[in-house]
This record gives sequence, C-alpha cells and structure tokens, in this order.
Amino acid sequence: MTLTRSQKRGILGACMLAAILIAIGVLATYFASRYQLRLIYSAYVNLIVVLGLQVFMGNSRLTNLSHSAFMGIGAYAAAICVTPIAMKQIALPDAPWGLNAFALDPVTSAVIALVITGAVACLVGIFIVRMTGTGATIATLAILVIVHSIFLYRTDIFKGNQAFFGIPQVFSLTSIVILAVVVVFVVRGFRESPWGVMLRASADDETGSAAMGVNVVRLRLIAWVLSGLILACAGIAYAYFLGTISARPFYFNHVFLTLAMLIFGGMRTVTGAVLGTFAISFGLEVIRWLETGPVIIGVNLPEVLGLSGVMLGLVIILTMALRPVGVMGDREIEELVLKKK
Amino acid sequence: MQSGMRSGAEVCLLELKGIYKSFGGVHAVRDVTLSIDHGEVRGLIGPNGAGKSTLVNLMSGLLTPTAGTITLDGEAVTRKSAHQRARKGIARTFQNLRIFPSLSVEQNIDVARYAGRGGALPEEAIDEFGLRDKLVQPANALSYGDQRRLEIVRGLALRPKVLMLDEPAAGMNEEETEALGRALTWVRQEADCALFVIDHDLKFIMTLCERITVLDMGAIIAEGTPEDVTQNPKVITAYLGEEAGLDA
Ligand SMILES: Nc1ncnc2c1ncn2[C@@H]1O[C@H](COP(=O)(O)OP(=O)(O)OP(=O)(O)O)[C@@H](O)[C@H]1O
Ligand SMILES: [Mg+2]
Repeated sequence: MTLTRSQKRGILGACMLAAILIAIGVLATYFASRYQLRLIYSAYVNLIVVLGLQVFMGNSRLTNLSHSAFMGIGAYAAAICVTPIAMKQIALPDAPWGLNAFALDPVTSAVIALVITGAVACLVGIFIVRMTGTGATIATLAILVIVHSIFLYRTDIFKGNQAFFGIPQVFSLTSIVILAVVVVFVVRGFRESPWGVMLRASADDETGSAAMGVNVVRLRLIAWVLSGLILACAGIAYAYFLGTISARPFYFNHVFLTLAMLIFGGMRTVTGAVLGTFAISFGLEVIRWLETGPVIIGVNLPEVLGLSGVMLGLVIILTMALRPVGVMGDREIEELVLKKK
Repeated sequence: MQSGMRSGAEVCLLELKGIYKSFGGVHAVRDVTLSIDHGEVRGLIGPNGAGKSTLVNLMSGLLTPTAGTITLDGEAVTRKSAHQRARKGIARTFQNLRIFPSLSVEQNIDVARYAGRGGALPEEAIDEFGLRDKLVQPANALSYGDQRRLEIVRGLALRPKVLMLDEPAAGMNEEETEALGRALTWVRQEADCALFVIDHDLKFIMTLCERITVLDMGAIIAEGTPEDVTQNPKVITAYLGEEAGLDA
C-alpha cells in the first residue's frame, strides 16, 4: 500500500514531536532534581492522557469527560494483578474472588489491564457513540461519576480514598518517554489513517459523510476504544512509577486539567495535544510557585491559594472565547515548518 | 412501466415503486414510480419545491419513504441506511454543498475512495474537473464552483453505479456550465455509471440527458425524450407559473 501525501507528512510530524519528547527527557535526566523529575514524569503521564483524549475528541469532535475514569480502571486493574501477594494480604484483607491470592509479572498485568479497560470502553462506547452533542457529553460525565463511586465504595477492592500501595515501581522516566513516543506515532497514525480521515469527515459534515459511505457509529466506536486503551496505558504508567494509587487522582480535577491542556493546545491536532500539555504543565508550576507568596525583585508577594484553579478555568474560557480551535487550530507541526520554505 | 431500450427480462439499475413522502401535512413526494437503467443519463426537472431534492434524499437513504419501495439491481434497499446505499453504489451531490472543509481536496476524495466499492477513480476525472492543481488546498479555500466540482469527483470516487447530481450548475456562469457539461459527457463515456441530473438550466439538461422526467407538486407529470417533454402541455402549464415556457 502506498502512503498518501498527508500520511507521509504525518510520519514527518510524528518524528519531529518524538524528537522534542526525547530531548526534554534527556535534558531532564541530566539536569532535573528528584522533585522536578517527578513533575516531568507526571507531565508525560498527562501527555499520554491528552493524546488518548485527542484520538476521540479531535477526530470525532465529541466531548469526553470520562477519560480519567478509564485511566483509573487501567491503573487499578494493573495494580491488583501486579502487587505481590504478601502486600495485598495487608492492603486488601477482605478482597473477594481471591483477588489478594495471586500476583503476576508487570507485563502480563499490563496486558490484562488493557484488555479489561478495552472491554469496558467497548461496552460503554456502544451507547456513547450513538448519542450526539450534549447528550454524549453528559453521558460521559455520568460514567466518570459511576466509576469514581465504585472506586470509593468498593474499599475491599480499591481501598477508596486510602492509598493502594505496594505496586512494584518498574517504570522510569526513560520508560515513559518511550511510551509517549510510541503513543504519538499511534495517535498521529490514526489521524491520517482511512479511519481517522473518514471520522474527521463525519465531524465536518455527518450527512455528507454518510452519503459517501462513512459509517460514523462504527468509526466513533473504534476511536473511543483506542482512546480507552491509550488512557489505560497512562494509568498503568502512573501506577508503575508511583507505587501507590488512590481514587482521587482519577476524578474531576484531573479531567479538568487534561481537558484544559487539550483545548488550549488545540484538540484537532496531535501537535496541539503535545503543546497544550507542556505549556499548561509548565504554567501551573509557575503559578504554584506564585501561590506560595515568593519574593520577586525585593517585593514580597502575598500568598494566594487556589490561584492555579482560577488560572486553569481562565485558560479554558479565554481559549473558547478568543480561539476556540486552540493554539494550533488545524495545523500540525510539520505544516508550520514546511510553510516557511 | 416502459423505461427504455433494454429487454423486459433485464433488471433495472434503480427502481422506485409507489414512493410517498410527507413532512407533517406537506406531501413532498406523491406516488412516484421511476426506473433508471444501467448507464442511462436521466434528467429531472420541475419548478421550485416540486420535490426533486426530496426524491434524491429518498433514493440516497437520507430520508425513508412514508410508503413505497426502492430496489437497486433487484435488491430492496428501502430500509438501508445512507452509508450502506453509498457502499452499494448510490452516490450523490448536494444542492447545498456538503464538502468536508477541514480536509484537503485530496482527502475529500479519499474519504469516498476508502468507503467506496473499491477500484481506483479514473485519475483523469481529477483533470477533467480541473482539480489537479488544487489537491493539497483545504477544501474550504476552493471557490464555489470548484466545491461543486469537488462534490462530483468525490461522488465518482465511490465508483458508483449511479451518481445523482442535485443542481450541479447552480451558481455557475454560462462558460462554467458548458465546461461542466463537457466533463459530464466525459463521465458518461468513461465512468461506467448512470447519471441522474437535476437542474433548472434547461439547455444544460436537454443537451446532456437522453430522457427527462418532470416532477410537479411531488408527482411525475411527464417522462420522455427532451423533445417529447418540451411539447407536453402539462409541462408547459406547470412551468408557466415561474418561467415563460420551455424554450430556454
Ligand atoms: N425536511 C423537510 N421538512 C419539511 N418540509 C420539507 C423538508 N424537505 C423538503 N420539504 C418540503 O417539501 C417540498 C419539496 O422540497 P424539495 O426541496 O424537494 O423541492 P425541490 O424540487 O428540490 O425544489 P428546489 O428547486 O427549490 O430545490 C417543499 O415544499 C419543501 O418545503
Ligand atoms: Mg432542490
């Protein structure tokens, strides 16, 4: 099969993004402190989340608010499989179905987590992809709430708001950079694939695409499940690095943060997802530092707690008002470079 | 009903039997029975609001008829969705353009290639409709006329059995309309598909089509060769309301 013009450009663009991701990773390993390393690691986890979100939202242009729940399903499924029996006996003494009586290696556990998340995404997706506009958005919000409630109230399995600990810390910054690069290629590949192009056509004009033979429901489901699998990867990477998880990080604050990243950068492109993630991650660190009331050029600034939440909300509102397609709009990174020539 | 040159044993390409469609109290299409042969070039004319676009919507599956059946190559497609019909070989363009604005011209065509029945679009189609130099442009950067031409090429890229064109010459000047007529004549010879063409430009329709169907107030009032139709008193009466006769 020969590649189309936009597929060739897609490979170029993905390589450029990969180079940037690798460069940031290499710089971080040489220069960052332990604390900064953790921040950078979590930026990469969020990047994978935002890329997972882009696959569905960017191509189908439906809003998803349940993505952090799928990340949580991946994280918990892997954690339950991989944690050593001795640890699980302490952490989950009352676990049903012998969940605390087995332990698997990290790779098998990750595969099982992906299968479970994929299956849940498929089941839920069958309903979601038939809805449109507001209906779909509200339904995804309901999924988030349902999954979170299950995490909270089945404490015998998930420990609720308490830490689920003892997960082997098998991931490093190198692993997450490699994973992020792979995901960039997958997401850009999907965007330029026949599926991605047909799905974007249906988002542009659903009736027009149906008259061209596009089965929009099927394509949305494919994108939704792929999105779920990428989100599961992010959850697994999160659990495998930190060693402990709890229900809270997979709830509304995280949904809002990653959504702001995608909207700011521009949800229609993979470049937008990458740009938005790094810009907001960096911006938030600056704001967190300002929140503590630092001294700048001799001026002692007041302590302002909650500034980061306000700023995040403002970023979303301003983007929506001034440039609803986000910074990148419809342009991918290679188009910026090729245009200049 | 008598539909042309082929023997009675042969199955028609597209056959509509007793099709009705109403929107609330409006009877947009009333008891339409119509058949199109393989490779035929059929024109559909009628005053504004006659139900022409509604008929195309019914054939392409965007609307389901209130009553009646539609068959394609002998297979019932009345309950099939639009995308299924497109894959079976019914392609169309829209009176109000429906291109994909965020995709390039080439990708607009690719969508139909991916979803279509397989087999490559004759590359010359892109040249015939003058889109060769514009393939990398975003589709929404095209002029109105080019967007119309893109819709036709996109329809052809499905490798359809029948391509329905809803007012392809609308908004085009005389020169452009003539060029369009030449390109469609090329399609007729090269693309191995039937054409079903709606237009208000009677000269355009008369030169392109071998048979013409006339629709008025949702019902067929005449059908035949261009000469038959122009001399039909019912047709002249139907048109008197808006145009001063048929000698365009
Ligand atoms: N979706 C709809 N809902 C309600 N009424 C409709 C709808 N679509 C068409 N109609 C009505 O059906 C009738 C036929 O409309 P249609 O668009 O098929 O006419 P047309 O022959 O294509 O006219 P024109 O030459 O102006 O394009 C009109 O009275 C129109 O108002
Ligand atoms: Mg019409």
